[in-house]
Amino acid sequence: MSRPLARLIGTRLLLSLLSLFAVSVIVFAVMEALPGDTAQRILGRDATAQALTVMRAQLHLERPAIERYGDWLTGVLHGDFGTSLVARRPVLPYITAHFSYSLLLAGIALALHIPFSVGLGLLGAATRRDGPIDSTISAAALLGMSVPEFVIGIFLVSILATTLGWFPPLALIDQAHSVPAVVSTLFLPVLTLNFAMTAYVLRQTRNAMFDVLRSDYVRMATLRGLPRRHVLLRHALPNALAPAINAIALNAGWLVGGVVVVEVVFNYPGLGRLLVESISFHDVPMIQGSALVLSATYIAINLAADVATMLLTPKLRVR
Amino acid sequence: MTKPGIGVISRRLLLAGTAVLASAPRPFAATATKTLRLATGETDGVKGTLDPAFGNNDNDAARASLVFERLVIPDASFSPQPQLAVSWKPDETGQVWTFALRTGVAFQDGTPFTANDVVYTYRRLLDPKLGSPAAAALSQVDPDGIRAVDDHTVEFKLRSPAVEFPLLIANRFTYIVKAGQTSEQLRAAGIGTGPFRVEHFVPGEEPSVYVRNEHYWQPGRPHVDRVELRGIAEESSRVAALLANQVDIVLELPLRSLQRLEGNKDVTIQSARTSDWYGLAAFSDVPPFDDVRVRQALKLVVNREQYLRAVVGGHGAVADDTPVPPWQKYGLQDAPRPPDIAAAKKLLAEAGHPDGIDLELYTSAADSGLLEIAALFQAQAAPAGIRVTINKAPAADYWSNVWLKKPFLVTNWNARAADEALALPFLSTGEWNETHWRNKEFDALIFEARKTLDDAKRGELYAKAQRLLQQDGGAIILIYADTVGASRANVHGYRIHPQKINHDFSDVSIDT
Repeated sequence: MSRPLARLIGTRLLLSLLSLFAVSVIVFAVMEALPGDTAQRILGRDATAQALTVMRAQLHLERPAIERYGDWLTGVLHGDFGTSLVARRPVLPYITAHFSYSLLLAGIALALHIPFSVGLGLLGAATRRDGPIDSTISAAALLGMSVPEFVIGIFLVSILATTLGWFPPLALIDQAHSVPAVVSTLFLPVLTLNFAMTAYVLRQTRNAMFDVLRSDYVRMATLRGLPRRHVLLRHALPNALAPAINAIALNAGWLVGGVVVVEVVFNYPGLGRLLVESISFHDVPMIQGSALVLSATYIAINLAADVATMLLTPKLRVR
Repeated sequence: MTKPGIGVISRRLLLAGTAVLASAPRPFAATATKTLRLATGETDGVKGTLDPAFGNNDNDAARASLVFERLVIPDASFSPQPQLAVSWKPDETGQVWTFALRTGVAFQDGTPFTANDVVYTYRRLLDPKLGSPAAAALSQVDPDGIRAVDDHTVEFKLRSPAVEFPLLIANRFTYIVKAGQTSEQLRAAGIGTGPFRVEHFVPGEEPSVYVRNEHYWQPGRPHVDRVELRGIAEESSRVAALLANQVDIVLELPLRSLQRLEGNKDVTIQSARTSDWYGLAAFSDVPPFDDVRVRQALKLVVNREQYLRAVVGGHGAVADDTPVPPWQKYGLQDAPRPPDIAAAKKLLAEAGHPDGIDLELYTSAADSGLLEIAALFQAQAAPAGIRVTINKAPAADYWSNVWLKKPFLVTNWNARAADEALALPFLSTGEWNETHWRNKEFDALIFEARKTLDDAKRGELYAKAQRLLQQDGGAIILIYADTVGASRANVHGYRIHPQKINHDFSDVSIDT
C-alpha cells in the first residue's frame, strides 16, 4: 500500500470514531427534544395515569437525561449496546438481523446497479451526444428517478406479481431458503431500487465520458488508429469512473438505511424500517444502535469510494 | 402503526387503479403441512406482546386469541356466550356473581385448568403494580372479592351491582393465563388453554409461529397444524399478498377499494356490521364548546351520509351522536337527524356568535379516515359560518399527545357492547373522557341501569342516557364502519366478528 493511501485510511478511521460519538450525542439530544416518551408511545390510547406511572418507573424514564446517556455510553464502550425499552430484549440481535437483511438487499441491488448504470452511461457516451439512443436512455433513467419508489414498487407488483405471477409481491425473506428463492423473492424490490438509482450514476458516467473523450490523450489514441472499443474501455473509462464511483457510494449508503418506503411496500425487515419504527416508539437504545451502525456503514462506504478513486487516479496516488 | 411519511391518500388512489389489473394468483408458498397464514393490517414492530394485560393492537389481539381463552365471549350481537365458563348466575342484587367453570380443560403444558387460574388472572389485571390499562376497564371488580369457591367455581364480589357483568368481562384483557406466570413469561411465551401454543415469537420478528395444542378441549379442533402471523401495514401489499396466495386470511381490508376484490373467485370477502364509530370530540368545558348551543350547532351542520360515502365507501351506517347503533341491544330506533344549517346559525347567534365562529380541529393519519373526516367537516361547517382550521398532527403522536389533550379533534372507537360503549368515553370519571363532558344525570342513569334487573326498564334507562348524550354531549358521532376481512376461497370456518379483536381460529380449515 502506498503511503498516501495508508495515511488516508488512518486519519479517516480516527475521524470516524469522532463522527460516531457526535452522532450518538445528536441523536440522543434530538430524541430528548421530541414530545412524548416511550411509555406513552407503548400504551397509546391505553395510557391511563396508573399505567403510565408504572411503566415509566419500569423503564427508568424519570432519571435525568445525562445519566441515561452516560449509562448507555459506558455500556457501548464495554460492548453492550443496551436493552430495547420496547421489546425489553437486547438491541444487538435486532440490529444485526436487520442490518444483515439490509446488506443482502443492498448487495444484490448493487450487483445489478453498477454494471447496469455504468454500462448505460457508456452506451450513451459511445453514441452521438444527444442523439436518439443517448436521449432515450437519459430520459428513461430520469423518469425512473423522478417517480416515487412506492409508485414504481406498487406498479411493478401489480404487473409482475399480481397479473403475470412471475414474482411474489411480498419479499418474505423468512420463506426463502435457497439462492434461487432469494433472488426471486428480492427481484421486485431490487428492480424498484434500480429504477430510483440508475439516473444519477448514468449521468455522471456519461458526462465524464464526454469530457474525457474530448481530451487530448483520447484524441491521440484515436489518431494512432486504436480500435474505438479499446479507446473507450481502456483509455477513457478508467478516468471517467471517479464521479460515478462517488455516485455509487451515495446510492450504497442510501440502500442500507434510506429505503424505508421500499421496505414497507415489500414488507422487508431492513434496518431503515427498524430505525423508523424505533423512532416512533422513542426506543432510544434501539435508535442509537441503528444510527451508529448506519453511520459506520456510510463512513466505510465513503472511505472505500475514496480508496477506489485514488487507485484509479495515479495523480492522487503519488502526491 | 408505523407508516412512512408519504402521501397515504395518493398511494391509495393509485392502488385503486393498479389493482384492477389483478387476475389469477400463482402458487408461491406451496405448503406441505397444513399451515394457516394470517396477516393483520398493522405492524407493531418490537412492541408486540402476547400478554393479554398489555395487548393493544390487532396483532396482539390475534396472538391472544390463538393462545388464550376467556370465561365469556361476546357473540356477534354482543350477547355473552360461554367459553371457559359454562354458566353463571348473580345473587338477587347483581353484586355477587358465581361462574361455573368448564371441567376437563388443560393448559398447553398439560396442567389442568382450575378456578385458581381465574383468580390469578383477574387479580393480576387489577394489581396496581402491574399497571395494566385493564384496571380501568374492570374498575367495578374488587380484587379482594374474587375467590375460588371450589376447583371449578369462581365468585366475583363487585363494588356495585352490574346486571351485565358477564359481558363486561368479555373484553380484550381477560384472557385466562396459567396461574403463576410472570409478565416476562407472558410477554412472548405465555401458556393458555387456546387451540394453539406459541412455537416461536420474538417481538419484532415476523412471522410469529403457533402450533396445534394437543391438549385442546374441543374435540377434533383445531383443523390446521401451524399458524403463521405477520402484519402487513401497506394496504396494497396486503391485497397483493392475498391474491398471490402468500397469505390465507387478511384480518382487515381497506373499505374504500373493495370492488377490486369482489368477484375474484379465489378470494372470499367477509364483512360484519359493527359499532366501530368515527366522529368529532369537543371539550364541553372549554369555550366555545362550553355552551351547549354551540355543541348542538356542530351536530346540526354535519351531513352524515357524506361521511359514510367518503370515509368508508358506503360500507357502514350513519350514526346519530350515540355509540350504540340501532341494531345493537339498547340502540335507539330514531332516524338520524338531517343537517339544518339555518337552525345551526340561529343557535350560534343565540350563543353570542352572530358572525360565526373560528375553530381549530386536530386530525392525523393515525387511523385511516381521520383526515377525510376533518376535510369534510371543514367544508360542511363553512355555510353555517363555522370557519375550521385543520391542524394535522403527526400520526405516531396522535393518540398519546393530541387525543385527550386538544379541545377539538377527530376520533374513533372500536365496537363495544352498549354499557361499555357509553361508560368508557362518557362517564364523568372515565379515564378516556375525551369530551370532558361531566353530566351527573347521565352517570346516574348508567349506574341505575347497571343494577336494574328488569330488561325493559334497563333498556329505557340506557335510551334516556343516550338521548341526554345526543342533546348535551360533546361528541359528534358520525358513522359506524363495517369491519371487512378476506380469505382465500379454500379456507373455511373463519368468521369475522363485529368487534375486530375477537377471533376464533379453532374451527378454521384449509382445503388442499
